[in-house]
Amino acid sequence: MFENIPCKNIVLETLNLEVQVRERTILQNISLQVASGEILGIIGPSGAGKSTLLRCFNRLSELTPGLRVRGEVRLMGSSIYAPELDVNVLRARVGMLFQEPVVFPVDIRENVLFGARRLRKLSKGEQDELVESKLREVALWEEVRDRLKQPAAKLSVGQQQRLCLARTLAVRPEVLLMDEPTSALDPRSTSAIEELLLEMKSRHSIVLVTHNLRQARQISDRVAVVCLRNGVGQIVEQGDSAAVFNAPSAPEFRDYLGQASGM
Amino acid sequence: MTRVLSWLLSALAIGAFGFLLCVFLFQSGPVWQSEGTRYITGVSWFYRQHVFGALSLIYGSLAVTAVALLLAGPLGLGAAVFLSEYLPQNARLALKIPLELLAGIPSVVFGLLGIALLRDWVYRTFAKFDPLSGDTLLTAGILLAVMILPTMVSLFDDALRSVSGAQRRAARALGLTRAETIWNIVLPQASRGIASAFLLSVGRALGETVAVFLVIGRQDNNLPHPWYSPAPLLEAGQTLTTKLGGAETNIAFGDPLHWAAIMGLGVLLLVLTAGATCLGTLGRRRHA
Amino acid sequence: MRRGLDIVMGCVAGGCLLACLTISTGLVWSIARRGWGALSFSFFTEQIALVGASGGIFWNLVGTTVLLSTAFLACAPLAVSLALMERVWLRSESMKKALRLGLYTANGLPSIVFGLFGFLVFVQWCGWGKSWLAGGLVLAMSMLPTVTLVVLERMAAIPQRYIAAATGLGLSQSQVAWAVLLKQSWGGLISGSLLGLARAAGETAPIMFTATIFAGVTFPKGVVENPVLTLPYHIFILAQDSFAAGVETKMWGTALVLLGLVFSMSVAALPSRLYLHEESDV
Repeated sequence: MFENIPCKNIVLETLNLEVQVRERTILQNISLQVASGEILGIIGPSGAGKSTLLRCFNRLSELTPGLRVRGEVRLMGSSIYAPELDVNVLRARVGMLFQEPVVFPVDIRENVLFGARRLRKLSKGEQDELVESKLREVALWEEVRDRLKQPAAKLSVGQQQRLCLARTLAVRPEVLLMDEPTSALDPRSTSAIEELLLEMKSRHSIVLVTHNLRQARQISDRVAVVCLRNGVGQIVEQGDSAAVFNAPSAPEFRDYLGQASGM
Repeated sequence: MTRVLSWLLSALAIGAFGFLLCVFLFQSGPVWQSEGTRYITGVSWFYRQHVFGALSLIYGSLAVTAVALLLAGPLGLGAAVFLSEYLPQNARLALKIPLELLAGIPSVVFGLLGIALLRDWVYRTFAKFDPLSGDTLLTAGILLAVMILPTMVSLFDDALRSVSGAQRRAARALGLTRAETIWNIVLPQASRGIASAFLLSVGRALGETVAVFLVIGRQDNNLPHPWYSPAPLLEAGQTLTTKLGGAETNIAFGDPLHWAAIMGLGVLLLVLTAGATCLGTLGRRRHA
Repeated sequence: MRRGLDIVMGCVAGGCLLACLTISTGLVWSIARRGWGALSFSFFTEQIALVGASGGIFWNLVGTTVLLSTAFLACAPLAVSLALMERVWLRSESMKKALRLGLYTANGLPSIVFGLFGFLVFVQWCGWGKSWLAGGLVLAMSMLPTVTLVVLERMAAIPQRYIAAATGLGLSQSQVAWAVLLKQSWGGLISGSLLGLARAAGETAPIMFTATIFAGVTFPKGVVENPVLTLPYHIFILAQDSFAAGVETKMWGTALVLLGLVFSMSVAALPSRLYLHEESDV
């Protein structure tokens, strides 16, 4: 299922992506595009391979032994597998937020700077500036401004996730990959993050994997539905978010919507 | 019935160990009375004249242990880092097996290897320091390093593995290289386990008897001036364990004060090894 | 620059591992090379002669076997009891922790301490003189913590649902202990004992004052004044003399035999140890 997006910049795209784990194919025929300034939602039942798919975009899949990825993945038009490409630079350009917020066991300020300081030398002034601007961007600054030197582990889960977002933003990514970023959070923190995403999308394109259909419907511009077909994860439907939700056609998707109607 | 039996046998087991401790403490009483703190701070040990100062023995034990840890520590940590961070699970387990086998070589066989391989090498290599023979504190230290190496690798590996994968993934996802992740995330978070590994290895090294016995020269009263310079390592020495394992133990039994002095060395050894092992155990994050 | 450091760390760490593996295999190879020539049928079946320059190590093998068997028989029931104590009978968490800490600490005690203890209590106070029984009991004490810990870990790995099911069926604690815990941890006792025995087989310090001599005895006929010949002590004594021509090979041959004994026991314990390792490797 391949849809052409006219007149917009394509930031990230895959062509016929296939993922195998030890001889078993778990994802097949994955072709999708993420345009600049938009949020692409990836939805579908658990086990379909959504998280694995996300990890292909920043080559984090390489950390799992036995996982083999075939097909094209392009960031800003160039393949992410090009030999001259430094994978660590790629991962800074394509940031990732995980389901469980993973704060490092250092203070809040150090957390925000953790990735950024590897990229280039920052003076103390530049560091302070960076910390403040990123924390403001995730609406955390007012809450933590007088306890920057305190351990980040003391923050609430919702605050920790926003801290992780600030940390990721500090390395200036072009695309953000989000793996169910609000499923471990309470409703208030969830809507706080959702507001942030809507505000941020003009600056960073976002790929959002989510189980929360309301979330997908409300904040994603376009949606790709990944379901198991013949035992392999595939994109069964793709397109404008409202259109896909109002008129679901693929049988697997309709099943999923039926089951998930509790959400 | 099972319950009664379990309690009885457990009491027997614990009682035996308690009895051991008491025996050492009480039997060593006379020398503490006779020498007081000079027992630990005194440099000379002349049993015929009833002069019992254990300091050069303590120095020997600590020097040999220090050399062993300095050599085996970094090497073992490097090996553990590679095992834990660079190799997949299967390869890791497979390679741990040859290392475990090294751990199984008996102490006396290590002593043989020390005599056959290390002794002459040390004598030739450090010839410009003019050692009397190849039986030196340094030789014992190097031998001990090889003996504790597999244990250290295993303990370090456990410590590194206890750092959660989520931390590593988050760091890599930020764009940190593997080396940066190891340096900034894994090692700092494993530091408590690594310190425990060192403590446990100290306990192990202090308690080694036979291998050290065969290559250390067993020379009493050799406390060097100053004690921190490297050349004295090239002299023959004596540790708490080698003194206990030597001929004096048999001779001492007839003489209450001499025997008390020997038992006192046992008390020192017990305190040092139990202390190190206990602290090391407390610091380890045990799996489930 | 970052790439460079990345590669350097990989090389340094890999080099360390390579060094460790080289040392490990190199040493075993050294022993094999030197001792291989001594191995023959007569080496295993004859007794020593000419202060080790000729003959074999038959009675040394017998003696080591006697000591190890005694140690196992003395140690096993105590180890199982201690493990059951921690798993079943002890109620308070702090007592359990204290017991475990005690076991780990005792596991690290030097073996010469046990030797001295045995010398004082068995050889002198009990009046046994050098006796195989003294040696066996001393070895039992020194291996007790190791064996107990392995049995304990094996018992702890038994899924809680088995114990819950048994208790739910109305079994008393004793019955649960027999029916579930002991039945499922025989393997742990065997592998823990093999591990402890492998270590004990090579120990010289605990038996030098209590149980072994260099030559002159065969099979013990009683308890008092009945020492045995052993493999490690044999090596220990020969190692301290200058290397007369025939002695050297036989000494290394004995070392090789001892190594083989220790390795085979360790290897036999391996499957269950790897299993335990897998369990705890999350």
